[in-house]
Amino acid sequence: MFWLWALLGFVGGSVVTVLAMRGSASSPTVDSTLGDERASAEIAVQARADRLQAALDAMPYGVVVTDHDGNVLVRNQATAEVGADAHNEVLVQAAVQYNLRSALRGEARSQTVELYGPPRRVVVVHAKPLGPDGAMATIEDVTERSRLDAVRTDFVANISHELKTPIGALAVLAETLIEETDPTVISRLADKTVNEAHRVAKIIDDLLELSRIELSGDLIVSECDVASLVLEATSRNGYVARQNQVVVSAGEIPAGLKVHADHAQIASALGNLVDNAVKYTDVGGTVTVAALPDQLGVTFMVADTGIGIPTRDLDRIFERFYRVDRARSRGTGGTGLGLSIVRHVANNHGGTITVSSHEGEGSTFRLYIPDRPVPVS
Amino acid sequence: MNELRKSFHHDIEDVRTELVHLAAFVTESIPRATAVLLTGDLEGADMIIGGDDEIDARSLDLEDRCVQILALQAPVAGDLRQIVAALKMVAEVERSADLVCNICKAARRIYGHELDPTLRGIITRMGEQAQQLYIAAIESFVENDAAKAAAIDDMDDYLDDLQRQFVQAIFESHAAGRIDLQVAVQLAVVARFYERIGDHAVNIGERVRFVVTGWLPEHRGAARFRSRPDETGEIMRPVDQGTGD
Repeated sequence: MFWLWALLGFVGGSVVTVLAMRGSASSPTVDSTLGDERASAEIAVQARADRLQAALDAMPYGVVVTDHDGNVLVRNQATAEVGADAHNEVLVQAAVQYNLRSALRGEARSQTVELYGPPRRVVVVHAKPLGPDGAMATIEDVTERSRLDAVRTDFVANISHELKTPIGALAVLAETLIEETDPTVISRLADKTVNEAHRVAKIIDDLLELSRIELSGDLIVSECDVASLVLEATSRNGYVARQNQVVVSAGEIPAGLKVHADHAQIASALGNLVDNAVKYTDVGGTVTVAALPDQLGVTFMVADTGIGIPTRDLDRIFERFYRVDRARSRGTGGTGLGLSIVRHVANNHGGTITVSSHEGEGSTFRLYIPDRPVPVS
Repeated sequence: MNELRKSFHHDIEDVRTELVHLAAFVTESIPRATAVLLTGDLEGADMIIGGDDEIDARSLDLEDRCVQILALQAPVAGDLRQIVAALKMVAEVERSADLVCNICKAARRIYGHELDPTLRGIITRMGEQAQQLYIAAIESFVENDAAKAAAIDDMDDYLDDLQRQFVQAIFESHAAGRIDLQVAVQLAVVARFYERIGDHAVNIGERVRFVVTGWLPEHRGAARFRSRPDETGEIMRPVDQGTGD
């Protein structure tokens, strides 16, 4: 009879109850057909339970169901994948327990658990009572969603900051010029006005370039000579580099290395990467540009010995107008769009852009461009 | 197993779970404190410092539970080691939480001062390493893994190295006039806090080894001491561990 009790305990469904009654009524003379029936019913119930468990396991959320004493009855696979580290796991499970206790008192609750990582993760735990018999909790990873929210809100703040600052400065400078009579002061103010106007123009140029790259569905693919692309990028920033006393050099590039890609876009991306590297490297530092071929494409590498990027900002620097340090941004004169242009170029080519960096040690950007065959024209 | 024994083992398991939870809390607060320090986030500093009261309360509660188990259940052998080790480990975790608070207090004191990228970089690395040590300590405890616990000591060497590098970088930054003396002193103290957090993780690892093997690294030194003759020329005998003679 053991299997019957086990089954009753397992589902408590009406099918099993009926079976149990039939089983006990005819128990003195158990014939083989009844045994087969039992066995097949057992298999059916087991299959149903398995299917439910499989359905739970397929869910992207963690699900935990408990009885009225708080003992866990069901736990799906996703609950085990919540914490990457043991300590994250413990913190999430503690939140689950805490909210389940409240649900068992008949009160639904939810809690957002922020795990500082790295990598940073945000998990939402919901707990609901299931009548008088128990409670269930769901665990949902909302890291990506909350990151996107942050991107959206920061974007508006950042773009208005970047555009308003030079325009505000222009207005103030012009107002002062109206009243001013001293020629030396006038010439100084006029100089500043020109600088601010250039700044606005540069932002608008970058915005236009970004939207062009964003919108251009079709790449103008041609055979590009990798060595000349690298040379173009390193010489384009020669003046700033000399001023900052930063040595820009090209690494060894295999002779005759070619890649099929949009020449203008790759040149723009590399130019932006080298531009950044030079800007954020102190006097006496070095910037190295290299190209490493593999069977499928070319990886352009731009490495500097500059100030580096804080770990927390690494996954956000490719956003439009994102600034690691806003106080510093005016001094370096960038527009905050360079890296998002690079990201779009990578995306357009089906490639990738990655960065590894440590503050005080420098950054290395890797732009991978897969080779693509020239379309037949 | 009779009912009484079942509840006894349940109690020990509860103590272990709570201890892991406290340690996880500390592990989580290390990168938070590092971010507070690097971004000058005063609100975050207040939050962490305020949160320490909870750690204190729960540590005391956990200690009480350990003492109660000792008094009421009189555990022996492995169970006794578990409880004694837990008592010691609570203190390590609680002290580590205080050190995390101290980092936040230092962040308040150096608020508004710019730090070199080199200094910021080493602070980031120290924070990461201290957290790694704590993660390893928790994992070794959860898994009763003496080998992993022994590795924590080696991981700590890197943290000690970072501390030395950091002090050197502070000297250079101060000599170049980029930070003033007050900030330099505060930073040196911060480096010490991270290093101490690492030491507490090492101690937890040693206690894990003790639970599993009954052996502590201190036993080596203690054995040396006992084999040394005192002024009378007599070799000291172990008094605490009767071997039957």
